[in-house]
Amino acid sequence: MKVLPSRSSEIMAQVPAQQPATAMIEIDRVSQIFQTSARKDHLALSDISLAIEEGAFVSILGPSGCGKSTLLYIVGGFVSPTSGSAKMKGKTITAPGPDRGPVFQEFALFPWKTVLGNVMYGPRQQGVRATEAEAQSRALIEMVGLKGYENFFPKELSGGMKQRVALARTLAYHPEVLLMDEPFGALDAHTRTRLQNDLLNIWERDRKTVLFVTHSVDEAVFLSDKVVMMSRSPGRIRQVIDIDLPRPRRRTELLLDPRYQKYVVDIERMFDDSDEAGANA
Amino acid sequence: MTWSAAIGRRVAPLLACVGLLAAWQVAALALKNDGFPTAFEAMRAVPAILGDKEALINILASLRRMTIGFAAAVAVSIPLGLLMGRSRAVAAFFNPLLMVIYPVPKAALMPIIMLWLGVGDIAKTLVIFLGVSLPVIYHSFEGAKAVEEKMLWSGAAMGLSSVQRLVRIVLPAAMPEILTGCRTGLVLALITMITSEMIARQSGAGNILFNALDMGQYDTVFAMIIIVGAMGIGLDAAFEKVRARLVRWSEPQFDIPLSFS
Ligand SMILES: Nc1ncnc2c1ncn2[C@@H]1O[C@H](COP(=O)(O)OP(=O)(O)OP(=O)(O)O)[C@@H](O)[C@H]1O
Ligand SMILES: [Mg+2]
Repeated sequence: MKVLPSRSSEIMAQVPAQQPATAMIEIDRVSQIFQTSARKDHLALSDISLAIEEGAFVSILGPSGCGKSTLLYIVGGFVSPTSGSAKMKGKTITAPGPDRGPVFQEFALFPWKTVLGNVMYGPRQQGVRATEAEAQSRALIEMVGLKGYENFFPKELSGGMKQRVALARTLAYHPEVLLMDEPFGALDAHTRTRLQNDLLNIWERDRKTVLFVTHSVDEAVFLSDKVVMMSRSPGRIRQVIDIDLPRPRRRTELLLDPRYQKYVVDIERMFDDSDEAGANA
Repeated sequence: MTWSAAIGRRVAPLLACVGLLAAWQVAALALKNDGFPTAFEAMRAVPAILGDKEALINILASLRRMTIGFAAAVAVSIPLGLLMGRSRAVAAFFNPLLMVIYPVPKAALMPIIMLWLGVGDIAKTLVIFLGVSLPVIYHSFEGAKAVEEKMLWSGAAMGLSSVQRLVRIVLPAAMPEILTGCRTGLVLALITMITSEMIARQSGAGNILFNALDMGQYDTVFAMIIIVGAMGIGLDAAFEKVRARLVRWSEPQFDIPLSFS
């Protein structure tokens, strides 16, 4: 079966040859133990090692409770690991900083600020002049499709709109690494697809390093260069899969692409296998 | 429909006032008791009090003590409450202290405070300060505790220091709760103001009231109650206006009317 042969090879040709990229983020034998209220130690992450290259889009995929968020928080510097270390550009991460921008699943917008106020917050904190920060923020708000909502308060927005504001707010202070925790998890399918496309457009334009947590196999394959599959109890890396699909990616084209379909099916099979193994154990 | 609802909202409190006064008038006429003047007599005494220079100075002095006590309490209690809400160590230190002070009626401390500080402005202002502090500390504490952690993380990622996070994230996020505490505090300020003047009988609105009571000028007594009550309602309404404006962002989106129609 030949699907879009000429076009995809054309697109392939446009992508520059992979250069020996340096690791932007290096996670080195990280384990995380939580003290639960039952006074028992809970091993949330066990011996995680992972290198993320500069400019790569890496997704973390795994069942609920396998420690995806925890891993993201460790890279963000919000949680310090029980053992092991996370490094950014060779420097051990000890605290949050504007070089790593989180987008939380809970949005965590500042409810007393308008959409514009939220987006301007980071640049203003970084010392960008008010007029300049405002101009940049208005452009970002327009880019995420919220033009006309600049003066709305977060409570006046829908979930998908809040998510867009959260993304714009983080993009506004130009972090080198985006840390996104199931950013589209709570959205309806239509909004989700739109935001995925928006994110991909933004990423293809300025190639930030992205660490993206998701439950959805489709989403991970569609967006990523690399999918990190995790398993639960304790949270471990099962497998890292390189997604070798041409960019720029168009959702409608990819859905028909057998290579895309194979990635999705393979990954789903692997999770099914582990579920059965879990059920038999 | 909206027109009549708007008019209803304006007129209803007025009707309630008139109804109350009418009931008072009828009850006083029926009872014919010296200690219970009619509403008309009491109302007539109001301009007499407000026109009297001495009385006016007394009332203004009361208001000044109340303002200073309230402002000082708010200035101290908000930072303390916020710190307690965000730091376990600070909370562990101050909690036992506050738990001891909390149930004590602040007016009951008045004799001791008078013993130490005399019967002047300082003692009375201190009692007002104590009365206002506790609800403001408590609500600031609760408000700060409830601030979503991810919001603070977002701030940290933008480069806010811990002090900046307290002032620029915890404070505004907790503002609705803080202002609820301040509103309770304002009413308590008025109450402690009057009680302190009842105990340290030297000057103030409470003093006028009790002097009049001693001298059997019952219409003045009731007029003072009306004045103090009106002050309370006025202050509370003014504060509510300011509060609603400050935390417009947090007000519920849809009013669910509680109507009988
Ligand atoms: N602060 C904490 N205290 C105790 N246990 C925790 C804490 N945070 C996470 N855990 C535990 O660590 C494990 C991993 O949690 P985490 O939130 O990282 O999972 P997740 O993969 O993000 O799940 P989900 O997909 O549902 O968001 C869970 O079993 C959770 O109970
Ligand atoms: Mg999670």
